[in-house]
Amino acid sequence: MTEDAASLESPADDLARLHSSVNDPGGRMALERVAQRISELTADNEALRKQLAERGSAEEAIDSIPGLVVALAPDGEVEFVNRQGVEFFGQPLEELKHWGTNGAIHPEDLPRLIEDFTQAIASGQPFEWEVRGRRFDGAYRWFQSRGYPLRDASGRVVRWYNLLTDIHDRKRAEEELRRAHDSFADAQRLSKTGSFITDLLADDTKFSEEAYRIMEYEPGTKVTAQRSASIMHPDDLPAFSSAVNVGLTTGADVNFAFRITTPRGTLKHVRGVAHVSRGIEGRPLFVGALQDVTEGMLAEEALNKARAELAHVARVATVSTLTASIAHEINQPLSGIITNAGTCLRMLAADPPDIDGARETARRTIRDGNRASDVVTRLRALFSKKEFALESLDLNDATREVIALSLSDLQRQRVVLQSEFADDLPKVTGDRVQLQQVILNLVRNASDAMIDVEDRPRRLLIRTEREHGDRVRVMVRDSGIGVDRQTMDKLFDAFYTTKSGGMGIGLSVSRSIVERHQGRLWAEPNDGPGATFSFSIPLEPIPRSHGQWPKD
Amino acid sequence: MEVMGQQPLVSVVDDDESVRESLPDLLRQCGFAAQGFSSAEAFLASEALGETRCLILDIAMPGMSGPDLQQELIRRRHQIPIVFITAHSDESVRLELLARGAAECLFKPFSETALMNAINTALGMR
Repeated sequence: MTEDAASLESPADDLARLHSSVNDPGGRMALERVAQRISELTADNEALRKQLAERGSAEEAIDSIPGLVVALAPDGEVEFVNRQGVEFFGQPLEELKHWGTNGAIHPEDLPRLIEDFTQAIASGQPFEWEVRGRRFDGAYRWFQSRGYPLRDASGRVVRWYNLLTDIHDRKRAEEELRRAHDSFADAQRLSKTGSFITDLLADDTKFSEEAYRIMEYEPGTKVTAQRSASIMHPDDLPAFSSAVNVGLTTGADVNFAFRITTPRGTLKHVRGVAHVSRGIEGRPLFVGALQDVTEGMLAEEALNKARAELAHVARVATVSTLTASIAHEINQPLSGIITNAGTCLRMLAADPPDIDGARETARRTIRDGNRASDVVTRLRALFSKKEFALESLDLNDATREVIALSLSDLQRQRVVLQSEFADDLPKVTGDRVQLQQVILNLVRNASDAMIDVEDRPRRLLIRTEREHGDRVRVMVRDSGIGVDRQTMDKLFDAFYTTKSGGMGIGLSVSRSIVERHQGRLWAEPNDGPGATFSFSIPLEPIPRSHGQWPKD
Repeated sequence: MEVMGQQPLVSVVDDDESVRESLPDLLRQCGFAAQGFSSAEAFLASEALGETRCLILDIAMPGMSGPDLQQELIRRRHQIPIVFITAHSDESVRLELLARGAAECLFKPFSETALMNAINTALGMR
């Protein structure tokens, strides 16, 4: 076949020989060779066609993949981009070969991409990263780019296949989530509000960053009930526990407040609100928010102190102004009295005595004396209420109103208030506002008397009861510093006080109000710590004279 | 009653009538010539201005006050020693008036002895 092959130069030669020598044996052989060749060529053609068809369907498949497919040479040169890729970038293959310089990749991502890609090529390891590609209209979209090397039998990389999947929407959702988280954390930080979720069965509490900051735990510390209790002020624990219990049993929102001692040893005021929610698998979750209210509390404390001081200063100022003006009004006639009396004595002592002159100065002395007395009368008129506003009133209601007024003060002073109101309390006739002043004064005194009590609960009991059938009694019992028998009577004197900030007016005014109601105000020491102040008034006080209420 | 001129004239300026009535009488009993005026202006307008050896002067008066009169007298170069009297006992006011040259400042009501001592101090200042 070698010589035949050598003689066989082309099918055209074979045809020429065919023409010249059809019956020639060599011609026959040539003919056979031509036929053989044709059939070979046909077969080749068929294979080629088949191959082409196969390749077409592979390309079709690649083009229908939901993603951009890029095939690269082992050295990284782009050899193929599927239809989606060409359409997305709006660039033909030839142009996409220059992806490193033609703006197809987001400039921020490009340097890193080139570096990573170079490294991947060098190492032959599969790669995966996220990158922004520029769409034909100029908009960038995020892609996840995954690359795999195709190796030959010897393990050499012959091609890289790179699939780019559009993850733009997921990426944006992630960014939004992160932004939401950031702004949530910012808002928590700015408002000093932290949030928590407690899995009650597992005793496991999840804190937000700000909650960690508020409680001053190391971020990520496991928070347990015991741990929280260990930093909480012991006085605040019972109230907190009971708030949690109320929340658990009723399902209502509960407010709570407690103080914590931080690792630095400072006191922090924390306030919160929480409720129970049924979480996954029906496990009860205690969900709530915490707020650091230390600044507010300190400011409020300072404000209250300033207010109290101001009130005290104002009272002192009022009293001192008043005293000065009273003194002035009295001193003028007194001066006249003394001078006239002196003159009178001298006139009587003269020789002969000036009787007329003495009589005149004595007359003036009397006149000035009356003048001084008038001043006192005017002052009393000024300070006494002209009319007593009488009404039928329920002392239970009146007392409840006073308690409502004092509640925040009492809470601030951590007074545990207990009230026992008689069910069958009859109405009394009296001046509601004045009687409420008395009750308020007794409650304030009781609360003030307990201000230094640290070793026991600051208990305050307010009780109303019917007494001896025709009287009603209001009792205020504290567990404070108490009063001894000796000072008991002095308590009701004006300007007697045991309080550093007190003027000593309250009890004396209170007693005069009660006495105007034909009642009685008294104090007695308790068996235990503290004192009990009570007043009792008749149901229908009888006016002292002619239906007129006494002015004093 | 002795003849004016032989006894030093003590003038009393006070808007309070009872002082104006009683004080000159007492001063006369104590051997002084005395005259009362209801206001600083009335005193400045009177002939007593040149004769007065001692002025007993209320602090708070409607119109020109006691200290105002003191300043006016200094301005007019009338060196009349002054004993202030006031129903407001304010020690700081007293000290200030003394610092400005007053002989004394008495708080009402004052005793006869205190008054006489103050007048004697004033008369000794000449």
